Amino acid sequence: MRLDGVWLRYRRGEPWVLRGVEASVAAGEAVAVVGRNGVGKSTLLKLAAGLLRPQRGAVRERPARVGYVPERFPADQPFTARRYLLGMAAIHGLAPADGRRAVGEWAERLHLDPLLDSPLAELSKGSAQKVGLVQGLVHRPDLLILDEPWEGLDAATRAKVPAIVAQTLDRGGRVLISDHLGEVGSLPDVRTWELVDGQLSTPELAPVECVIEVAVTGAEVDAAVASLRAAGHRVLGVRIPS
Amino acid sequence: MTALIRLRLVAFLRTGRALAPLLSVLVVLGVIYGGGQAQAAEAYGFSAAVLFPVVAWQTQILFNVEPDTQRQLSTVAVGGLGREIVAGLLTALVPAFALVAIALALPWALGGITGPQRPGDPSLASGVVAGVWAHLLLVPPALLLGAVASRAAVGNAARGLAVLAGCTVLAFAVGTKDSPVPWLAPPLLPTARATVDGLAAGPLAVQTAFAAAWAAVALVGYVTLRRRNA
Repeated sequence: MRLDGVWLRYRRGEPWVLRGVEASVAAGEAVAVVGRNGVGKSTLLKLAAGLLRPQRGAVRERPARVGYVPERFPADQPFTARRYLLGMAAIHGLAPADGRRAVGEWAERLHLDPLLDSPLAELSKGSAQKVGLVQGLVHRPDLLILDEPWEGLDAATRAKVPAIVAQTLDRGGRVLISDHLGEVGSLPDVRTWELVDGQLSTPELAPVECVIEVAVTGAEVDAAVASLRAAGHRVLGVRIPS
Repeated sequence: MTALIRLRLVAFLRTGRALAPLLSVLVVLGVIYGGGQAQAAEAYGFSAAVLFPVVAWQTQILFNVEPDTQRQLSTVAVGGLGREIVAGLLTALVPAFALVAIALALPWALGGITGPQRPGDPSLASGVVAGVWAHLLLVPPALLLGAVASRAAVGNAARGLAVLAGCTVLAFAVGTKDSPVPWLAPPLLPTARATVDGLAAGPLAVQTAFAAAWAAVALVGYVTLRRRNA
């Protein structure tokens, strides 16, 4: 998918939100769109999803199956989560049996299954976000667009996002994901587009340090510490039970 | 697309917002037919005129039930703005035809229709045919007026209400027989007049063309507004 010289603004006379954006996303590639609040990350994602039309330039070679997960899921709808998700699966073109299976699998994976028969309006913000996530995933999209997917999710579900992205990439799909929380470092092989003043730059992400807790026997402590340091890791501390 | 139409209809019915236009039609038709009997062409001419703003209002309500973000999700899921627009208009046709069916059937239930009273009056059959024609003719422009007045087209509900009220007032103020610009208003009063006068090929053809043209202009306006807001 390519953005060819895309210019976009919401109304005539207003400043351009996107100015001559040139970019492409290859099959099997994930791109994180980063930038300060209000810079136009969501606008760029909506453009990629086909929800906005550029005044100049074009979005080309957009895959047919698109999954779009908005920053805030609109829970003010008169459905249970199950009825809504089955309805969205059908709109995506899934047969009823396939829709039931896909909704069941994703609900189980995201621990949403106990809430499937709850009205959407009664779900917590995090659970509603999970519904938003599932509706964008049930049809195995070739282009997955996630607008701030970590927003409002509990820690356990946030930790599943990298696997969801990796699964889409493994199928040869493309993933566009926006983030202002700095969570993109947890994603596998992600490329970054930084949006500044309506234009894209592609800075390298600073490596994210992770902490691993390792248990060894008392006799192995010194050797393990030395081995880790020799491998270039920082050893933050050693706890020896009294 | 059928799945989207079904989901939207279910949402419209479950929110209970379908009740307001339905009750309005029942009350107004009750008033029209409660006062005594009238010949089919005359009675249906009035009820078609009454139905026009209600169908427009009902369409606006139906469109506004869907949250803006959900409309975006529906657009992506159904495969683009064009298909979403078509699905929306087809969705609105279902309750519009339901109101038409009620408007056509209710006078018979209330005993409000009578046959020709004087020599030269249109026959009952021709009156009914003219009535069905008038109701069906007014559905597309009414539905498209409601679509233009929806939040998706004009940006917010208050502006939509102004469009709806303005066009309805315009229909009555400018659609009179002596108006210098009757084509400016939705074809509400001219259609009612043509129906009351009975089935005459000339006026019916003119009104059909007028309603089709008005609907085409409203459709272009609606699609333009949706594309501009997209």
